[in-house]
Amino acid sequence: MSPGAGGEPDGGRRAVLKLGIGALGLGLAAVPAAPAIGYLLFPSGSKGGEAAFLPAGKRSALAGATPVRVDLYADKVDAWNKTPDVKLGSCWVLERDGALHAFSTVCPHLGCAVDFDAEAQKFKCPCHRSAFGLDGSVEAGPSPRPLDSLEIKEQDGLVAIRLVRYRQGVADKEPV
Amino acid sequence: MALLDWLDERTGIRSATRLMLEEDVPGGARLRYVFGSVLVFLFMQQVVLGILLAFYYSPSATDAWASTAYLNDQVTSGWFLRGLHHHGSSAMVVVVVLHLLQVVIAGAYRKPREVNWWTGLLMGAIVLAFALTGYLLPWDQKGYWATQVATGIMGSVPGGEPLQQFVQGGPEYGNLTLTRFFALHVFVLPIALAGLLGVHLLLFRKHGVTPPDLPEAELKRMTQPFWPNQLFLDVLAMAVCAAVLVGLTVTTHGAELFAPADPASNFVARPEWYFLFLFQLLKYFQGPLTIVATVLLPGAAAAYLFALPFVDRAKSRAVRSRWSVLTGVGLLMAGVTALTAVAIVEDGNNESFQHGVEQAHAEATRARELAREGVSPVGGVAVFDNDPEQKTRNLFKEHCASCHTLEGKGAEEAPVLDGFTSREWLAALVRNPRDRRFYGATKHNTMEPLTTEAASDEELAAVVEYLISLSGASAAASVDAAMVARGKELWDKKLECSSCHELEAGKDSTGPTLAGRGSPAWVARIISDSGQKDLYGDTAEMPKFAGKLTPEQIDALAQFVTSRGAR
Repeated sequence: MSPGAGGEPDGGRRAVLKLGIGALGLGLAAVPAAPAIGYLLFPSGSKGGEAAFLPAGKRSALAGATPVRVDLYADKVDAWNKTPDVKLGSCWVLERDGALHAFSTVCPHLGCAVDFDAEAQKFKCPCHRSAFGLDGSVEAGPSPRPLDSLEIKEQDGLVAIRLVRYRQGVADKEPV
Repeated sequence: MALLDWLDERTGIRSATRLMLEEDVPGGARLRYVFGSVLVFLFMQQVVLGILLAFYYSPSATDAWASTAYLNDQVTSGWFLRGLHHHGSSAMVVVVVLHLLQVVIAGAYRKPREVNWWTGLLMGAIVLAFALTGYLLPWDQKGYWATQVATGIMGSVPGGEPLQQFVQGGPEYGNLTLTRFFALHVFVLPIALAGLLGVHLLLFRKHGVTPPDLPEAELKRMTQPFWPNQLFLDVLAMAVCAAVLVGLTVTTHGAELFAPADPASNFVARPEWYFLFLFQLLKYFQGPLTIVATVLLPGAAAAYLFALPFVDRAKSRAVRSRWSVLTGVGLLMAGVTALTAVAIVEDGNNESFQHGVEQAHAEATRARELAREGVSPVGGVAVFDNDPEQKTRNLFKEHCASCHTLEGKGAEEAPVLDGFTSREWLAALVRNPRDRRFYGATKHNTMEPLTTEAASDEELAAVVEYLISLSGASAAASVDAAMVARGKELWDKKLECSSCHELEAGKDSTGPTLAGRGSPAWVARIISDSGQKDLYGDTAEMPKFAGKLTPEQIDALAQFVTSRGAR
């Protein structure tokens, strides 16, 4: 800019400069701000792959009407880490009418871990007193739906269970 | 406007804005006043980008590299934001130098602006400290090794060792080094810079710009307001700078991320380009003179710059009257530029360096590819465990190496597997099966040695060639047909090998079947169950791995053992 360009500033020219400052300023702010939106929202909205069947042990060890608590292990990927053989969760397994049934230990109400009360022959949640029958149905308390049954598969005397987490506090069983 | 009136009444926001923006620029707005504003912009952008990076980055020796790789290669736009932050640091160094040169040429360091000059120099030093501390944070090979040199220099200076131990958090690099560098880079340096910047700006407002060397009346006549005249030029310069940065980031596809830091490797360590002059200087001063390059010369240069307001005894700011100061700073800059250029040219002509760089890039690509699967919490270098071959090597280490040796590692309780598909190995086995290298330490030490009386070396070679021809299609292609024929004849008519060894699989025998011997399938059968009747039968000692390992793992091990065993 030549030294003599200023002097008495005329209104129109100043308005153009102000507009330029505003426009360029917005552009400058957008350089990091625009990509930051997708960056910060990552990875929400992305659905994890379908849950795999996880080994739950031998069929013979799970026979019987008394529920057995089974821990399920698999490799876990958490953001940048991949940890082999991590305990991902557990479930109650019992035999009824010759078939195995598995229930998630996560209470459908608010997610506390459901215990088995051998005396009462009921599943009981220690937090809000929900109680469930051996078929998983709600017998008492605030749980909006029965215990979440999990898919179970038997092959060569080995049992595998598909561990899925469901939304808490709602009447419908929706995977999260 | 009613809302603004309401707010103004309670906060005085209008007068505050006016106070900030309304300032006369004597002599009028000028392009050469833009550098300070551009630096403020760059600093603010670095702060924003740094905060964004902190949303994914994890400062621990086990997580730093993996989280950076995740941020860079998987998170949406992560590469762009990290690249902008990386190149932004280079831009800051460049603009700091331009700002400094402009101040020197204008004589703006002179009375009454000495304190302004000193705060500026301190901020320049902080910008370099930012670069140094930020470089280590990804915990990749380049950052790790380049920073080792810097802290090494610190420790080599008399009395510098406690400082080195302090910044490293101990005698060597580890978690504490990262947390310290992180705390410095993310908290200490930004706060220090912001504080100095506040002082710098207040002093700038107190003294105003250093106008051209013109008569007072002339300056007054040409005066323009900061808002909007000078600010427009400032923002225009910021926009040019931002455009260059975006262009650079896109064309380089962000910042390089090398393979994870491996203290056991030898990496071609080079500092970032703006430190190359120091790196080059170090080459000229060795042994007891090292301190000249590490402390004395850089210290003298810094002292000279700090003392500039006193060195300059000229009566006026006119360039003519200050030629000595200008020459001094000019020589300094020329020296830095020349050293940088020499360093670049030397590396360009250094073939082993270029080769090292190529290897480093290949390793980086491989590591980042493997990192997409997730990295074991053991740490960055564990990314290579994702490599199928490395997985198999780990399996071997876990299940096999307590008895077998492969790649020179392991015990000698069972046959050494190095070279076990080779002719030499077979021939040596036949001559001396009870050697520790073969079956000496096992229950299977029942085979009679084949003496030179029973078969000459030449005959043995023919038999070995015959056995190789049985070991599968790939081996059969490489054999000498005449020798195979001779070997077969010896096998059938002269030697007694067949009393123990069958040439068909599935037949009961004392020694293992030689059908497919050394092939991956044969090895896989042994790994699965070496006690099968046509293998080692009752003399088998090796555990059964069928059931313990998956069929895929057994096949992978068999492949690994046969391919490595051929070396």
